[in-house]
Amino acid sequence: MDYKYIEQLLDRYWECHTSEEEEQILRSFFAQKDVPAHLAQYASLFTFVKEAQEEHVSADFDKRFADILAEDALRHDTVRTHARTIPFRRRIAPFLQAAAAVAVLITIGGAAERAIGGSQQEEGTTAPVVANTYIRSERVAEVVSPVDSKNEATAIVQPDSMARAQMGVDVQMKEN
Amino acid sequence: MKEISFRNDVLPLKDKLFRLALRITLNREDAEDIVQETLIRVWRECQDGKDIDNVEAFSLTVCRNLSLDLNSKLEQRNVAFDEDIHDQPDTTRSPFETMVDHERFQMLNALMNSLPEKQRTAMQLRDVEGRSYREIAEVMQISESDVKVNIFRARKAMREKLQR
Repeated sequence: MDYKYIEQLLDRYWECHTSEEEEQILRSFFAQKDVPAHLAQYASLFTFVKEAQEEHVSADFDKRFADILAEDALRHDTVRTHARTIPFRRRIAPFLQAAAAVAVLITIGGAAERAIGGSQQEEGTTAPVVANTYIRSERVAEVVSPVDSKNEATAIVQPDSMARAQMGVDVQMKEN
Repeated sequence: MKEISFRNDVLPLKDKLFRLALRITLNREDAEDIVQETLIRVWRECQDGKDIDNVEAFSLTVCRNLSLDLNSKLEQRNVAFDEDIHDQPDTTRSPFETMVDHERFQMLNALMNSLPEKQRTAMQLRDVEGRSYREIAEVMQISESDVKVNIFRARKAMREKLQR
């Protein structure tokens, strides 16, 4: 039998030029009983590799590992329970939300009140405003010159009432 | 990203990890402890959302690093091999053959364990685990050419021993 191919593979194996498949061929070849004498010296290397592949963890490994995992999980849960701290910002968040809600309500309420108040003023508060204006101007005049403010005010108001009276006379005259 | 299952993807690696850890630490108990630590670490990384393309290569890397850490902490122990696993009787072979096989295994195992760590790890991953040069380079965090150099030296040392 020609072992040239195996010899070539073996040469390439020592040089690290064999592929994984070629190394598998070598392992299969050396696993058989009828290995030629000049190659037999290397058979033990490949059978050694095969035996080394069968090495495994001890039989009770899984049970011990399961116990370790259970302990580890328990320890992690405990740590998590103790380590869970609520940040200050999150703790006061409900109060901030309530405060924000109140602020919004106040703002809306204020705006609504101003809107309602404004419309009321438009409806019936023109005359007092005018009167107030006169009174304020009268006070200014009081400061500027020592004139009797009541008479002055009357005097200022008088033309208006006189005008009205004059208008009444005109109306009466027209009716007549 | 592929979802990784502890039971289906991580736990079945225990024997491969054990063989690598044993090859580096040369101690069965230490190797098993390292396997446990590796499995837990790899699983935590998966749970933390780390994107792991090749779980096996990543696990082997973690296992090797933990083994090297342990070796650097402890004194290098040149215990040849824990014998208990090979003391089981093999009924298919004669006592003489079993003894010869046992001695041969012991001799080669001791020889491989006497190699520098890089050489025996590279040879373990290639010849025992059947990994590609690229994967070995990834696990050992060296270049592919360095992997080949280490395997070449390891095989050469084994060959010289066998030729004597």
